[in-house]
Amino acid sequence: MQELIMTPQMQGEPMPGAAFEPAIVAFVCNWCTYTAADLAGTSRMVQSPNVRLVRMMCTGMVDPKYIIKALLGGADAVLISGCHPGDCHYINGNYKARRRVKLLMEILPRFGIDSRRIKLTWVGASEGNEFAATVNRFAAEIKELGPIDTRSLPLL
Amino acid sequence: MKKEYGALVVGAGIGGIRSALDLAETGLKVALIDARPSLGGILAQLDHQFPSDHCGMCKMLPLTQRDQSSQYCLRKGLFHKNIDIYLHTELSNLEGDPGKFQATLSRRSTFIDSTRCVSCGLCAEVCPARVPSEFNAGLAQRTAVYLPVPHNIPNHYVVDLDNCQRCWRCYEACPTKAIDFKFEQRKDFHIVVATPDEQLAQDFPLWFKDENFPVHPTSSGEDALKLLAEGLDCGLMLLDLDLPQAEAERTLRRALELRPNLAVVLLAAPGKERDKDGGKDKVAAALLKLGAREVLAKPLRQAQAVPWLDKLFMRLVSDESFSIEVGAVILAAGFECYDPAASPGGCADLLLYGSHPGVLTSLEFERLASPTGPSQGLLTRPGDGKPLRRIAWLQCVGSRDVKKNADLCSSFCCMVSIKQALLAKRRSHDEAETTIFYMDMRTNGRDYQRYRDEAENEAGVRFVPARPHTILPGPDGDILVQYFDYAGELREEVFDALVLAVGARPPKSMERLAQAAGIEVNDSGFCATKYLSPNRTSRLGVFAAGAFGEPTDIRGSLIQAGAAAMGASRMIRVYHGPRDETPEAEPEYTDVSRQVPRVLMALCTSCPTLERNVDSELLHQRMATLPGVVKVVDVQRACTREGWEALRQEAELAAPNRVLIGACLPYVHVPRLRELGEALKLNPALMDVVDIHTASFSGRDTSFGGHAACLASCATGAGACDCGEGARTNEMGSLLAMAAAKLLGADPSTLPQATPVSPQALVVGGGLAGMTAAMGIADQGFKVVLVEEAEHLGGQAMNLRYTLEGDDPVRFMEDLVEQVEKNPNIRVLKDSRVVLSRGKAGRFVTVVATGEGMAHTLHHGATILATGGHEAKVYEYGNRVRKCVLTQLELEQRLAAGSVDASSLSGVAMIQCWRSREESRNYCSRVCCQGALKNILMLKKRNPGLPVYVFYRDIMTTGFAEHYYTEARRSGAIFIRYTPDSRPQVDFKDDKPVITALDPVLGAQIELHPDLLVLSSGVEPGDAAEIADLFGVGLTSDGFFQEAESKWRPVDFLKHGIFACGLALGPATMRDSLLSAKAAAQRVVRILSEKQLSCGNVVAEVRDTLCSRCGRCISVCPYGARALDLDRDKIVVDELLCQGCGSCMAACPNSATVLRGFHDEQVMAVIDAALAVQPSAAARL
Repeated sequence: MQELIMTPQMQGEPMPGAAFEPAIVAFVCNWCTYTAADLAGTSRMVQSPNVRLVRMMCTGMVDPKYIIKALLGGADAVLISGCHPGDCHYINGNYKARRRVKLLMEILPRFGIDSRRIKLTWVGASEGNEFAATVNRFAAEIKELGPIDTRSLPLL
Repeated sequence: MKKEYGALVVGAGIGGIRSALDLAETGLKVALIDARPSLGGILAQLDHQFPSDHCGMCKMLPLTQRDQSSQYCLRKGLFHKNIDIYLHTELSNLEGDPGKFQATLSRRSTFIDSTRCVSCGLCAEVCPARVPSEFNAGLAQRTAVYLPVPHNIPNHYVVDLDNCQRCWRCYEACPTKAIDFKFEQRKDFHIVVATPDEQLAQDFPLWFKDENFPVHPTSSGEDALKLLAEGLDCGLMLLDLDLPQAEAERTLRRALELRPNLAVVLLAAPGKERDKDGGKDKVAAALLKLGAREVLAKPLRQAQAVPWLDKLFMRLVSDESFSIEVGAVILAAGFECYDPAASPGGCADLLLYGSHPGVLTSLEFERLASPTGPSQGLLTRPGDGKPLRRIAWLQCVGSRDVKKNADLCSSFCCMVSIKQALLAKRRSHDEAETTIFYMDMRTNGRDYQRYRDEAENEAGVRFVPARPHTILPGPDGDILVQYFDYAGELREEVFDALVLAVGARPPKSMERLAQAAGIEVNDSGFCATKYLSPNRTSRLGVFAAGAFGEPTDIRGSLIQAGAAAMGASRMIRVYHGPRDETPEAEPEYTDVSRQVPRVLMALCTSCPTLERNVDSELLHQRMATLPGVVKVVDVQRACTREGWEALRQEAELAAPNRVLIGACLPYVHVPRLRELGEALKLNPALMDVVDIHTASFSGRDTSFGGHAACLASCATGAGACDCGEGARTNEMGSLLAMAAAKLLGADPSTLPQATPVSPQALVVGGGLAGMTAAMGIADQGFKVVLVEEAEHLGGQAMNLRYTLEGDDPVRFMEDLVEQVEKNPNIRVLKDSRVVLSRGKAGRFVTVVATGEGMAHTLHHGATILATGGHEAKVYEYGNRVRKCVLTQLELEQRLAAGSVDASSLSGVAMIQCWRSREESRNYCSRVCCQGALKNILMLKKRNPGLPVYVFYRDIMTTGFAEHYYTEARRSGAIFIRYTPDSRPQVDFKDDKPVITALDPVLGAQIELHPDLLVLSSGVEPGDAAEIADLFGVGLTSDGFFQEAESKWRPVDFLKHGIFACGLALGPATMRDSLLSAKAAAQRVVRILSEKQLSCGNVVAEVRDTLCSRCGRCISVCPYGARALDLDRDKIVVDELLCQGCGSCMAACPNSATVLRGFHDEQVMAVIDAALAVQPSAAARL
C-alpha cells in the first residue's frame, strides 16, 4: 500500500483471479478534448478510471516518441484526441497528428505492438458524452486485447 | 465606492465578447453583463457554424499577452484580467453623459451561492418541476433548479424561481448548503395589509402562518401608515384598491416617503380592472406609475396568493441593484429567433409547428444535431424516433414578411439551412435527401456562393425556388408538402421532417433595454442606426454591436462589434482627454531559475464529496514523499475567498517556488493563480491546479448514492477493495504526481524580451475604408501615415451619388477627405507606393516611394491594408460600345448629373449578376442588388409610369435593405428570375436592345424593347498581389485578401500586426467598408496602446547547439513564426507570432526546438508518473 512506484516486475502481470484493468495514457488537446474531458468529469458521466490524461496544447505536438515512451513504460494503450478536422485552434495541428499517427500505426506492428493499441479520435469541446463513450469503448477494446507484454517485444 | 469602468458591454454573446475583448486588450476596464445566466449567447447552442461548419470561437482570444486571458475553449467561458462579468444582470437605468455615465444594473438572484455550489447536481435530482429546457430549444425538459449550459465554466446551478414549486427538496439535498431561500429572514419580514375586506384581513395571518411571515392586517390606509410611522420594519405593503381612490393614493405616497424602498402591491379585482371607463384599471395604472410594484388579482386564494407572495419576498430580499460609472456603453443584446408559435404574429397552425413533431425550427434542428442535444446528435424525429432521411427546409419563416412586421431579411438563415443540409448529409452518411425551399438564396458573403455551389453540385442538396402553400400531416407521421415548382406545376412531396428557417427578431427585453439606455428603435424593433454611422445609436456614447443593430451572421456581428468597440474606445479617449493613463504595472516575479525546486502542495479536502470517498490522510503521506515536494497542506474550501486567503498564508510561510493545488474545477482557479502569483512574486506559470474532485466520484462510483454499486463492482473487480476508496485515492495520487512531475520540470527562466512598440500606424489605401481606419486610429491619439497610390484621396466611394437610404455620399466623402487632410495625427502620402516592408507586430519598417522620387522610411507598430477594388469591367452585351447599355454605376452618375432623363424613357431593363456568381468570379458582389434598387426607385420617383424589368437570379438585399426591395416591387418594377442555364438573350435592333427571355411566372418567352439596358457587373478587387507579397499576407483565389479566419478573425491576417478592411477584403457596401475599417482600426489601437508586446508563457524556443538548420520547423509552423536568420546562422522564433502549438517541437528531429511548459523532459516525466501506479495494481492495493 505504501509504495507509489511499482517495481517493473509487477507490470503487466495481473495477479491470478484479478481482472485485467488496462492502463491507458491519453494525449488530449487543450482546446477541445481536454475541455470535453473536463465536462465529462464535472457532469459525472460514467467513465472508465483507467485513463490518465496528459494535456497537450495541440495534438500536432504529440511527438511519436511520447506514444512509444508510454507504451514501453507500461501503458496498455494510447489515446490521442483533439479537435475535429477544421476546428483546430492552431489551424491544422490535428491534420499533422493524423499523418503521424497513421505512420506510427504502420510501423509499430513490426515491433510487435498491435496497432489497435493506438487510437486517434476527434472530440469537440462540448462533447463530454462523446469523450466518456470513446474512453469506455477504448478501455473495453483493450480489456479484450489483454495486457501489453513489453518485455517480449522484438524492440527490446 | 462605485466601481468605475471604461465601458459597459450589455450582452455577452459573441458580439459582446468581441467588443469587450477589443476594449480590454487596450487596457480599459470593461463590465460585461448578460441577462442570461450563461456566457456566449445563442452560440452556446450552436456546434457547427458556416462556412467552415465548425466552431472556432477560441480564435477570438487575444494573440499577444495571452496570459492575461483564459486559454481554453471560449464556449466554456471567458476570463480576462480587465473584464468583470456579471451574469443574470440587466441594465435598468443609464444617466449622465459620454465619458461619465451612471449605469444602474440589477442582478436577479439565482438563490445559489456560487462560492459554495460544487455542481454536484443533487438538487436537480430531487426537483419535481419540469419545464422546457431553453438550452435544448424546448426539445428536452429541465428542472427548476438547473444548469443553464452544461459545459460552462464556472458552472453553478441556478434556481428558476418562476417555475419553482417551493417544495424545498433541493435545499434539503444540497450537501454544501449553497441554496439559500432566506428562511431565516421570513420572521423579520413584516407584511402590512390595508384592506376594508374583513374576511381577507382575517384570513391573511392564517394563510401565512406556515411561512412565518408576521402579517399586520389593517382596515384603512391610515392605520397602515400609523404602523409604519411607529417604526415597524415593514418589507411589503398590500394595498387594496377597494379603499377609496384618494386614500389609496395618499397611503402609497406617504408609505413611499416613509420607506422609499418599500414594495407596495395593489390588490384589485380583475373584472374591475378591465372596466373601460376609469374604474380600478386606471387607478392601478396611476398607482403603478407612482411607484407601486405590481398588481395582484382579487379574489385571492390561498393556494395562489401564498406562493406568489413568498416568491415576491425571496426576490425582494435576494435581488440586488448596483451602480457603476462608465465612459461608454456598447449594446450587444443580440436577437431572438422568431417563434412560430407566438401569438399574435405566429404561423404555427399553417406550418403544423407544435402540433406535428416533425416540424422543427432551425434552432431545434441545431440542438437535435448536437452531441450535447436531446438525442446525442442522432438525427431522429422527436416523438417517434424515426431516423430523418427526407428533410426539407422552409426559408424565410418570420422574415421578409410585411404582414408579420418583418420587412427585413435575417441575413443568416439561408446559409444556416445550407449548413444544416450538409450536416444532415454528413450525419446520415449521405443517406439523407435534403431539400431547401427558398425565395432567394442569399449567399452574399465573399465565399458563400461557392459554399452553396458545393452543397448543390457535390453534396447533392436540392434547391427549390418555391414557397410551399400547404403543409399537411402525411402518412406514418410524415409531412406532406404541396407547392408549385419553377415551371408552374403543382407538386406534392413527403418528408420526415420540415425545418423552419426562423428569422431574427429583436430581443424580448428590447423595449425595457431601449428605455433604460435611452435609445430609439426602428420600425422593425431593432436598435435604430444610420446607414453611414452604423455603430452609433441615437444616444451619444451608446453604441450598437453584433446583431443588435441589424440581423447579421457571425462574421458580420464580429465586425460590427469591433467597430462599436472602436467607437466606444474613441469616445472614452476623447472625453478623458489625451491618453495619459499610466499603464498598470506588470507584476514582477522573482527569478527562481537558480533555485532548487520546492513544491508546495495544497489539497482542498474539505469538500463533502471528498470526505466520503478518499483517505486524505494516506494521500497526504504519499504526496509528501514525491520528489521536490517540501510541504503538503490542507486548505479548507479552496473555492472560497477565505480558502484562498489561507492558502496564500501557507504559501508565504513555506516560500515555495512551485505551487500545486489539488481542488475541483481547475478552470475556475486560473484567475486566482494570477493573484497568488502577485502576492508571492512567483510566476503563475510555475503553478498548477489539478482536478482531484472528479476522480473522487469517477469510475465505479458515479454519484454520492452509488456506494452500494461501487461496493459490488469492487468486489467483483479486485476482491480486496472494500469500497473503491483505495482506487480513488490512487487515482488522485496519480493525477497529483503527474502534475508535480510537470511542475518540477517547468522552465523557471524569464520569458523572451518583450518587443517595444513603434506608436505609429501605416494605412495603405486612401479610399473610404483606409480613411475611416486612419481617422479611427488618429482620433485615439496615435500617429498614422496614410499612403495612397492616386493623386487624391477618395477611391471608389467617390463615384457614388446617392444611397438607398437617402444619404449623400458625395458630401460624406468630401467631409471625410477634409477631416483626414486636416487631422494633425495623419500624414498623407499621395501618389506613393510601398516598396518594401519588414518586421513584426509592434515593429515594422516600411519604405514608401513618392511620385517625386522621394523615399520615406517609416517605423510603425501595425499596418492596415485597404487597397480597395473597383467595378468589374465587362464588355459583352454592347457595354462600352453602345450608348444604350450602361452599368448600374454609370446610370447612377447620369441620373444624378441629369444626362439621363427618366421622363423621356419608355422602358428600362436591368440584368443582375452579370458575370458574377459563376466561375471566374464566383461570388456575390453585395452592391449590385442595392445599386439596382437605388436606380429603380430613382427612376420610378422621376417617372412613376416607366416600365422597369429586372432579370435576376437571387435578390440579395439582406438586413433592412429588404425594405427597398419591397418598395421597388410596390413601385411597379417587374422582377423576372433567370437561371444560369437560361439567361436573357440580348440583341440590338436600330441601336436599341432587344431582350428575349423565359418568364417563369408566365411560363413563356418574352421579348422586351427597352431604351436602356443596365448591367450589374459587380466588383473586383484591385491588384493586390504585389502588396500581399510585400507584406507577406495571403490572397483568395479571386484576388481578395485572405483573412486569418473568415468568421472569428474577419479583419486580421494570419501575420499578426497586419489587418485588412474595405473592398480589398471582399465585396462591400459603404456601410460594410465603414464597419470593417473601424474594426481594423480598433485592432491596430490594441497593438499601439501597448508600450511593449510580450508573448504568452507557452512559446517555442530553439536550442541552437542541437539545431541542424534542417528547416522542417519553418515549413510546419502554421503562423510563419519561424525563419532562418542567415546572418547569425540560426533559426529564430518570432515570439509574438508563435502561438505555442508545438508543431515545431514534434517535427524537429533533434529535439532542438522546445516549447516552454512542454519540454520533452517534462512530458516524459508526466508519462512516467501517469504509469507509476497501474489501475490493475491499484485495485489490488
